[in-house]
Amino acid sequence: MSVIDAAIRPPLVTGGKTYKDVTADICRPLENKPTRLWWIGFIVSFFCLMILVASLFWTTWTGIGVWNINKSVMWGWDITNFVFWVGIGHAGTLISAILLLFRQKWRMSINRSAEAMTIFAVMCAAIFPLFHMGRIWVGAYWVFPLPNAFGSLWVNFNSPLLWDVFAISTYFSVSLVFWYLGLIPDIATIRDRATTKGRKFWYNFFSMGWTGSVRTWARYEVVSLILAGISTPLVLSVHTIVSMDFATSIVPGWHTTIFPPYFVAGAIFSGFGMVLTLLLVARKVLNYENYITIGHLEAMAKVVMLTGTMVGLAYITEFFIAWYSGVQYEQYAFLNRAFGPYWWAYWTMMSCNLIAPQVFWFKWARTTPWFLFIMSIIVNVGMWFERFVIIVTSLHRDYLTSSWVMYEGSYIEVGIFVGTFGLFFTCFFLFCRFLPVINMAEVKGILKNKE
Amino acid sequence: MELNNQYWKGIEEAEGQPEFVQTKGNEFHEALPLEDVLNATDLDLSSNRRDFLKFFGFSVSAVALAACQKVPVKYAIPYVVKPQGVTPGNANYYASTCLGCNTGCGVLVKTREGRPIKMDGNPLSPISKGALCATGQASILSLYDINRLANPLIDGKEEQDWTKLDTDIISKLGSIVSANGGIRIVTKTSNSPSFDKAVVAFKAKYPTAEVVTYDPISYSGILLANEQSFGKKVLPSYNFDKAEIIVSFGADFLGTWISPVEFTKQWVTNRNPKGGKMSKHYQFESTLSLTGTNADVRVPMRESKEGIYLISLYNELAKLAGTSQLPVKQNAELAGNAIKNSAKELFAAKGKSLVVSKSNNTNNQILVNGINIMLGNYGTTIDLNNYSNQSKFVEADFEKFVSELSSGSVKGVIFVGANPVYSYYNSAKLADGLKKAKLVVSTADQKDETSDLAGYVCPDNHYLESWGDAEPKAGVYSFTQPTISPVFNTRQAIESILLWAGTPAAAANAYEYIKSNWAADATIWNQSIHDGVYIKPSTIASVPSFASNLNEIATTLVANAPKGDEAELIVYQKVGVRDGAMANNPWLHEVPDPISKVCYDNYVSVSKTEADKKGLKQDDVINISVGGYSIKNVPVLIQPGQASGTYAIALGYGRTQSGKVGKDLGKNAYPFLKIANGTTSYNISGAVTIESTGDTYNLAQTQTHHTIEGRDYIREASLDEYNKNPYVRNEGKLDLVSLWEEYDYSNGHKWGMAIDLNACTGCGACVVSCHIENNVPVVGREEIRLRREMHWIRIDRYYSFYTPNEYLTKEDDINKENTDVYDNIRVVHAPVMCQHCSHAPCETVCPVLATTHSSEGLNQMTYNRCIGTKYCGNNCPYKVRRFNWFRYNDNDKFDYHFNNDLGKMVINPDVTVRTRGVMEKCSFCIQRIQAGKLSAKRENRKVQDGEVKTACMSACPSNAIVFGDMNDPNSEISKLYKNERSYHMLEEVGIKPSVSYMTKIRNVESNHKSTEHHS
Repeated sequence: MSVIDAAIRPPLVTGGKTYKDVTADICRPLENKPTRLWWIGFIVSFFCLMILVASLFWTTWTGIGVWNINKSVMWGWDITNFVFWVGIGHAGTLISAILLLFRQKWRMSINRSAEAMTIFAVMCAAIFPLFHMGRIWVGAYWVFPLPNAFGSLWVNFNSPLLWDVFAISTYFSVSLVFWYLGLIPDIATIRDRATTKGRKFWYNFFSMGWTGSVRTWARYEVVSLILAGISTPLVLSVHTIVSMDFATSIVPGWHTTIFPPYFVAGAIFSGFGMVLTLLLVARKVLNYENYITIGHLEAMAKVVMLTGTMVGLAYITEFFIAWYSGVQYEQYAFLNRAFGPYWWAYWTMMSCNLIAPQVFWFKWARTTPWFLFIMSIIVNVGMWFERFVIIVTSLHRDYLTSSWVMYEGSYIEVGIFVGTFGLFFTCFFLFCRFLPVINMAEVKGILKNKE
Repeated sequence: MELNNQYWKGIEEAEGQPEFVQTKGNEFHEALPLEDVLNATDLDLSSNRRDFLKFFGFSVSAVALAACQKVPVKYAIPYVVKPQGVTPGNANYYASTCLGCNTGCGVLVKTREGRPIKMDGNPLSPISKGALCATGQASILSLYDINRLANPLIDGKEEQDWTKLDTDIISKLGSIVSANGGIRIVTKTSNSPSFDKAVVAFKAKYPTAEVVTYDPISYSGILLANEQSFGKKVLPSYNFDKAEIIVSFGADFLGTWISPVEFTKQWVTNRNPKGGKMSKHYQFESTLSLTGTNADVRVPMRESKEGIYLISLYNELAKLAGTSQLPVKQNAELAGNAIKNSAKELFAAKGKSLVVSKSNNTNNQILVNGINIMLGNYGTTIDLNNYSNQSKFVEADFEKFVSELSSGSVKGVIFVGANPVYSYYNSAKLADGLKKAKLVVSTADQKDETSDLAGYVCPDNHYLESWGDAEPKAGVYSFTQPTISPVFNTRQAIESILLWAGTPAAAANAYEYIKSNWAADATIWNQSIHDGVYIKPSTIASVPSFASNLNEIATTLVANAPKGDEAELIVYQKVGVRDGAMANNPWLHEVPDPISKVCYDNYVSVSKTEADKKGLKQDDVINISVGGYSIKNVPVLIQPGQASGTYAIALGYGRTQSGKVGKDLGKNAYPFLKIANGTTSYNISGAVTIESTGDTYNLAQTQTHHTIEGRDYIREASLDEYNKNPYVRNEGKLDLVSLWEEYDYSNGHKWGMAIDLNACTGCGACVVSCHIENNVPVVGREEIRLRREMHWIRIDRYYSFYTPNEYLTKEDDINKENTDVYDNIRVVHAPVMCQHCSHAPCETVCPVLATTHSSEGLNQMTYNRCIGTKYCGNNCPYKVRRFNWFRYNDNDKFDYHFNNDLGKMVINPDVTVRTRGVMEKCSFCIQRIQAGKLSAKRENRKVQDGEVKTACMSACPSNAIVFGDMNDPNSEISKLYKNERSYHMLEEVGIKPSVSYMTKIRNVESNHKSTEHHS
């Protein structure tokens, strides 16, 4: 892609970096010994990952009963976490696919890590629908339309859960291929710089014989565009389908047509929240301030504000429609969210997702890294609560008042949630250690001073 | 052709070297390097033959010892010789009598391959009339209770051989008699002619022997009142079916009082508003009883003041009749002029009315007799000629026995079916007395408080292993026949008594003995065993002459009535657990109390007003003491409808000697009981002291929200509204558009169910029946706290609170009112099970098609296919789907009957026991549907209406549940679907349920000023 930038535009990469600087800067964390900070982060993450393993083992060994879900609230922390993680994944796809198609150059220094985040987040997400099954040992493959010898035994194409299976698996595989494809030129660079035999072998293996010839670059560009084209509908479809798990049901508070756009907006919102969290740390720790500039942060803050406001609009619309519908159950469901026993969850959600992002109307808020970091955490918390509010407050008081219950997560459920963070960050730390966090090849394309 | 070629093994052979030739015959040619392998130390092992034998002997005996551990042998062997009358896979039914309590309900016992697995009421029995209560349903599990005694005990040690016990007991009895010491057989109320005859034989052998009747629950107030009024010390028969006006002072006749199944069957006959008439039922009581929840008008009343309210009622009636009134200064009145109003209506329905009272105070009961005499109810709604034998317990006899025991004049005691050490109010005195006796025998079939003190425990058979006869009502004989050979080394109590009386073993056999008592007419015997009952032509009811001085009684009652408003404690029986005899039966604890919905515990229930006054909240743990006895650490339950100023605690808990389930469950309230004027008093006078411990205890409740929040899935109206418009609250016919294609049910059956909210009393018999029929697991208290009970059918209980001009179902509105509103409540019971929706929301969301629709309209679960996403459960608007959170069988965490081989014998072989991780729910008893269809097919006919009954329907004592084929235009269900009161719960959701509910109609004047409806 040719790079024609207006002279008045602030440069996307600052610090007067040259090609050589880019390669050196980005390869540095891979080629040096891991830092103390990396080790601490990795060990803590790995410990959390072990909590995940233990919690999942205990759940599968003993039964889903070790969670606190009950006869009325049959989905609790599990599906809350599932939607939370799937949502987080969305920023990666959005950045890599839609922003690519829209030729948004600023995406170039963040797309790699955002895509990695997508993949790890989808891995975390996939744990929940798998392990929330009462019989994972058969469910894990019965949900696929596999030919079998049981006569007419088949999956139910009416069920949104089945759509989920397709949506998530497609999403994961496309994201993985797209991410890997983008990595190939950079892996080749590392291969060429490798000094030890082992590194040479492995990076050579994974670079798939990349030569950097014009022809390969041309092919690369075309395939990237095609994959971007395939990924683009996924940005919309995955969370639309996830939202249909709720929207197609008859549970008051779930049964709303607004869910697909509302969920997609929420997903991008939470995804950017998570990207901000990660990059704010990474740029500091890895000294990438010149690549991930304030300009990037500001652009992301704007997306956060926009999507946060969209989500907030959806919250208010839901409330209005519940009143307007005249359906008693629907009205009660929403009043109960705001003023019932889980009011604190609702107002946490409201203040984190709708009110807090409004500070981004001020430039200072958009351009101050430490403040952005706090905001990104708030966004993540808010979006977790959004899913909790949707799932738990709708189920705990639905039609027949006799079955109204209260629900709070058990230690195991909390353990699994904490554990998915362990999985996520373990993967992320390994990623930082072995793969370039910034797409060197693309960033070189947007350098102003090419020497 | 012979092979001449010779193959050499080596050059040595070819050359025929001498070394080779020498070793040629050996197995190994080379010398084996044995010396290298066996080093010096090994080689000089000094083991000789003797050592070898020692080691050998040790090993053999060690192995033998190790092998001695009993390895469970699991048999799954088909019958080698098929027993006559048993076809594997086919159920056999035997008529018998339920002895879960003393009521004597006739039952039909279903057996499969020789195991009784289910009981339903025997339609021929005039007591059960084809239904059976929760307690009776559950009693079958006591047969398979692993805590039953496997052998008789001598001083707590098991003894295989009965002869040693018999010899011991007979010699001790003999020596007691020769020393002129008293012998007492302490038995629960016996109404068995054969048992009474056996006792006569026993008394003949041991002249100092006497029978003492002991029941944990006393009705002696009625017995003694009838003795004084009419000269007959009996319980009368009540005919609630003939009563147009019923006034009950605390008598829980639908739940626990005397004969609840019989009374429910009677009561419900007048509860159908079709035709514009219904009986009117007033209930004045302190605690909210099951009967109170079903009354048209229920007014909270302090039980200690019942006497003065009875006087008021008498005087109001006397005023109307123009006869002389009782001498009191001022007539007491209940809220809403309930006494005056009820008196008017009672008087208008003279001869067709009924006044009953729970009170065990003789004077109160005499006054009730007087009122009924004045109303002319004897001979119509009350029958003294065909009296009841269901309780004969009079405290005086037992008191005398206890003092004789303490004084040492009684030396031998035989307890038959009685456990007074647990349930007697002064059990310490009784236990002390028993220590002085030379011989204490108990026939308890499992360890209990009394048998624990008995030197000899001669376990009785479970009644399903026994022969027996009973005469629960004069002229009504009900027979018990064994449906399984004794599981353990037990012996029927009647045989024990006969053997000790010196009857030869052959004649002492229960079967032979009872049969010989009916020998006068062999045809009666055969037919009676077949039918389960034998009914003598009844005596014509008549009006007895009344001889009591009511003026004197009124004066006493007024003098004894409490003057102030000090708090009082009510001790009552809970539906299900009842007197606590079956405390070790998990089904009874798993089924929630019909009112409080609490499982597994008893608690102090208290009115909202009183709780506010004392600063008590639900689940607070308190110490309560009254009259010298106190219970520590008992939780509090705020009970709407409870009379303010009263506390109540249920009997039947706090067993100290019982099996794993029943032991130390709840608190024992029996020691609160006091004897006043010769009868046990259940409202305990004396200052009630409440002491908060500061702790809380989470009561396991299956329902924690108690009002319908103005939703209209429960519909109710008053009788006059109904008479004006039979479609009242049911007018709006919804015009629903569906996105789904309709199923075509025109071919074959379309099953449906109708539930009459007006008939359902909430007794819980259906819940236990379903539990048994469908192998529903018992999950225990902790799981119920987590809201994970597994019942396929539940009974929702809703309160509504009424103020003078409206009635409230929204919590916010109720909280705005002052606490008085908690006194004025109305209750609806609504059984809810899977509604088998035609457009079932569960079916569309299952990713693997584990729940599907049948061509007969059933919503089916395929357990094998279920992967447990639980989406169906979330999407079920009725919340009737139940998930197997754990494996509930063979799991020590759930140590109930599914965790042992004996308990598993109660499992219905026609229903799968679900594994962990799958969803389950009501199947409309598909196994019964299939059985019905099969038998119709075999006989080449159509399935008849009423042939297929679900377990809930067959258990229901109030006929509230009707199941049938909606494709049959003449079926009862088809007719009920056309009933004006019929509606579907949550019809507006568009899921087309196959269960229809029928509006509850109360016989009250309309006060629906603002009943909420949504469009």
